[in-house]
Amino acid sequence: MTALLDINDLRVTFNTRYGQVTALDGVSLHVNAGETLGVVGESGCGKSITALATMGLIPSPPGRIAGGSIRLDGEELVGARPSRLRAMRGADIAMIFQEPMTSLNPVFTVGDQIAEAIMLHQKVSHDQALKDAVALLDRVGIPSPKARVHDYPHQLSGGMRQRVMIAMAVSCRPKVLIADEPTTALDVTVQAQIFDLLNEIQRDFGAAIVLITHDMGAISEMADRVAVMYAGRIIEEARADDVLDFPQHPYARGLIDCIPALGREDHALKEIPGVVPPLHLLGAGCAFAERCEHANERCRREKPLLVNHDHHPAACHAVEEGRI
Amino acid sequence: MTKLLDVRDLTVQFDMPRKGLFGPRPVLEAVRQVSFTLEKGRALGIVGESGSGKTTAAMAAIRLTEAAGGQVLFEGQDLLTLSDEEMRARRRDVQLIFQDPYSSLNPRARVIDIVREPMDLMEMGTMEERVARVRDLFKLVGLRPDQLNLFPHQFSGGQRQRISIARALTTNPKLLVCDEPVSALDVAIQAQILNLLARLKDELGLSYLLISHDLGVVRHVCDDVAVMYLGKIVEHASRGALFDKAQHPYTQALLSAAPSLARRKSKGYVRPLKISGDPPSPINPPPGCAFADRCPRAQDICREVQPDLEDKGPTRVACHFPGPVAA
Repeated sequence: MTALLDINDLRVTFNTRYGQVTALDGVSLHVNAGETLGVVGESGCGKSITALATMGLIPSPPGRIAGGSIRLDGEELVGARPSRLRAMRGADIAMIFQEPMTSLNPVFTVGDQIAEAIMLHQKVSHDQALKDAVALLDRVGIPSPKARVHDYPHQLSGGMRQRVMIAMAVSCRPKVLIADEPTTALDVTVQAQIFDLLNEIQRDFGAAIVLITHDMGAISEMADRVAVMYAGRIIEEARADDVLDFPQHPYARGLIDCIPALGREDHALKEIPGVVPPLHLLGAGCAFAERCEHANERCRREKPLLVNHDHHPAACHAVEEGRI
Repeated sequence: MTKLLDVRDLTVQFDMPRKGLFGPRPVLEAVRQVSFTLEKGRALGIVGESGSGKTTAAMAAIRLTEAAGGQVLFEGQDLLTLSDEEMRARRRDVQLIFQDPYSSLNPRARVIDIVREPMDLMEMGTMEERVARVRDLFKLVGLRPDQLNLFPHQFSGGQRQRISIARALTTNPKLLVCDEPVSALDVAIQAQILNLLARLKDELGLSYLLISHDLGVVRHVCDDVAVMYLGKIVEHASRGALFDKAQHPYTQALLSAAPSLARRKSKGYVRPLKISGDPPSPINPPPGCAFADRCPRAQDICREVQPDLEDKGPTRVACHFPGPVAA
């Protein structure tokens, strides 16, 4: 099967006051139609940069796609004309952002904003687009959509705003939907509603979803496949069950063990000591070596490559050498 | 066991803007007759969604928000009747850790001064003793003494929360109120802070009032849990009973909404209990149970009569039809 979205060896650099830093260092990802890929890692690992690069939204300058390719349904997006990217954004590939209040325009009604997205990509009248907006609001579970379509964002709760964002994102039935931490600002009960809605929408439309999150619990409920990112690289990638049950990379293990999960209260949580290193301080070795209990001399000297063991690639010398 | 904190019928009201020029001011009752107790050396978690009144209840209990009624007995003394002077002296027994360590530390002060400040205000010991205590506390919370003269922006989020904890501990408090202590932190860092809080509780015999929306966090740190919904406690139990034998449908919905590694997309999981919609407005709360509109078990009586918090089986629960999740 050819992947719907196929990212290959993507490199993104930023010019900063510390000089040029590499935010994405050879990231390769793919996602098939009807599949959900979870991208997981702490803040600063490059998850959101991957999403922005895919959407053609890397702020430039200071950022730049320095190499690699992003193919959507066979079409190359790196280096595509801005007008072509504009036509594809929203129609073929859409994104749901973290904070629905800041990504909606406060001075237009939600109906107008959804209708605008529809009219950009389809030749329909404003009246027809508004009717479509009502149907979409109904589809994403907003009560009395006929009245709500005339509401402004501030009149809606956080969960309803995120539903509006989802309605807007799926208005043109995109092939790929990127959800960047779609529920971090929301309460758990609302988060559960949004996850259920995304799964339903995927069943209805067959869209491919890229879910960006730092929460392994969300991965468990949403993802078919998982890519774990650390310091601008993919360090492990496999089917969700394989990563959750048999994580290979010590960082992936740490992310799973540090969750205060329901059901194991009495022993101390496993900690990942320290923090993600700033990009300008990355050395020659494994970026995780400083925080890793299995690190040795080779780890500090030589960057591990993503090596495939039993369809479960991991970038770790200790795994490769059978030390863990 | 000795009760450290005994909160009885605590009520907090906020006046809302007038509707017309001469109209009455509508009153929003954010906390409605909330009662709970906290024993020495234990941790009570208050969970609920945003707007449930969990933070307001805790702030009123330590007199940072004015209560409209009720009693707060701290070691038998009612905090709500103390004069400002008496309350100030009591403050050293009760300290606070805030949610966002980026905005709760003064960006222009060195951390040594930030951590020392409560002792300066309370006029505890000599300057040398205070500095020595700051050093000890730094070690206790896992920071290095050579970081004492740095500014907050030179620390990561997890380290800043350690600084907040060190400052809260300077006055040897008996009660630590933690308001969403880890929700601004990355998951990997959350574990560091939760383990630190658990260790400090054992080592120093602290009591915690921990406010969180995350049941996993509460389960890790707390001995008892109170669940709030629209200003009222709807279920209150020991940790074991609440997580394994929840009786209130709202608690059950919260538990089934929390993401869990046990629910897999590959296995086609189904949430045992789903709720839709949002909580009703606290300005005009419904006459009956506030959860009735979203509740799968609601009958006519639920919409008319407010259930009281009563001992029913394994937990204290405010529900006309408590029980385990229907299969």
